[in-house]
Amino acid sequence: MRICLMGFGAVGQGVARVISMKNDYLNNKYGLDLKLVAVTDTSGSAISQDGLDVDLLLETKALTGKVCKYPEFGIPDLKNSKTMDMVDYDVLLEVTPTNIEDAQPAKSLIIKALEDKKHVVTSNKGPLALFYKELMSLARENNVQFKYEASVGGAMPIINFAHDTLPGCEIESILGILNGTTNFILSRMTREGSSYEHTLQEAQVLGIAETDPTQDVEGTDAACKTVILANSILGTDFTLEDVKVEGISHITSEAIALAKKDGYLIKLIAEVSPYSLSVSPRLVKEDSPYAVDGTLNMATLKTDLADEVTVVGLGAGSLETASAILSDLVNIWKKL
Amino acid sequence: MRTNLVLELQDVPGQLVGVLGPIGTLGANIVTVIHQRDIKTDKGMVPVQITIEGDQNTLDVVLKKLKELNIQVMAVDGIVLKEKITTILIGNIVDRDVKDTMDTINSLEGVQVADLELKLSENNQDSSTKIVVEAEYGNRDMVMDKIEEIADIKEFKVISEV
Repeated sequence: MRICLMGFGAVGQGVARVISMKNDYLNNKYGLDLKLVAVTDTSGSAISQDGLDVDLLLETKALTGKVCKYPEFGIPDLKNSKTMDMVDYDVLLEVTPTNIEDAQPAKSLIIKALEDKKHVVTSNKGPLALFYKELMSLARENNVQFKYEASVGGAMPIINFAHDTLPGCEIESILGILNGTTNFILSRMTREGSSYEHTLQEAQVLGIAETDPTQDVEGTDAACKTVILANSILGTDFTLEDVKVEGISHITSEAIALAKKDGYLIKLIAEVSPYSLSVSPRLVKEDSPYAVDGTLNMATLKTDLADEVTVVGLGAGSLETASAILSDLVNIWKKL
Repeated sequence: MRTNLVLELQDVPGQLVGVLGPIGTLGANIVTVIHQRDIKTDKGMVPVQITIEGDQNTLDVVLKKLKELNIQVMAVDGIVLKEKITTILIGNIVDRDVKDTMDTINSLEGVQVADLELKLSENNQDSSTKIVVEAEYGNRDMVMDKIEEIADIKEFKVISEV
């Protein structure tokens, strides 16, 4: 299966590492040979119809920071749709950074691939949170598969889990923790009794929070995921502006201490129902499924037949996110 | 000994039988059942009044069984069971009249502030208070709406229970 990989940051490199690590395993188990035929980053592209050497690609990126420095096959400044036109591929793997303003360039790349009748796998929340319906119907019209497990919850299985493992259940609502950075900060504030500002700085030093943490701490990231879950699992037609969002930047150590005294924790909870979407700090019982620590994500799906089903997993990380992408790739392969 | 119970059931076929069956097998004699489907609690459930006959032990076993079945008992012998609702507010709690906040909640029928704990921070703007409200069963939404309303006016952030 030939892959055109757009974006070579933490997630893109994680995918490359996973391909390098698991190629024999995938070959033996599914007869699947994953071949990276094109890769782009902000510098340009590396293209080889016979497949790029993944280890050499990772080494080139580590040494120079640019995929266009890939020996022989690197092409500076060639990017996006131009790269897609230069190569024959089966699956577009779109992992460029999330843009919640207009979802570009991801949106155009995905549309182009779907119209060219290529399967698409993405980890990008922007196009899904803003244009879910449009993209899904385009995939259906062109009779190709469009998968996005990695966009919500990193390694935590939830979208494919709901679709493929609970296909007979109607999912009535979902309640969960969908952002690892804020869960880390709140868990740490609970354990250490430290202030929000101090704990945020600590998370930044550890690389868990970004230099500009706004999207995480103000709840935007979780809100995007809320929309994706609602539309893909509950079959709604929401977009980002339908979510009532409140972040964690106003949470004080005093509030956490008050909660703790009565056996509660404060968590940033996303609530998905057919009628409304919200992300806000909530009180959860210390012994409930919501009491997950650190950067873990969790989600409880309320179903008509199986009552409540809860999934937990690592919400971020290069290899962890790549594991969700690999699930999508294998699932596409199985249905070909 | 006769005991009156008010149970909260979902308005779907089979719910009533699903409850009466187990009660009968535990040795309690079911004397009356009043099932008025047109009255609904604010969760859209139907309150069902049943009278059972049996000794204290039988009654205890029945209540335990109801708990196992996840059936909410709203009242026992006319005494309305209460639920606790815990909320934390963050904001300028003290300067925005704590007593008024409590009085407004207490003004709701069947609702009472059972506990209020205040924790001041260095900055008055983000003090925290925990309010535990005891409300007659089924009034959670009404209580939360009122708290949200107060928070809106006084610019508090509300952290509610999941």
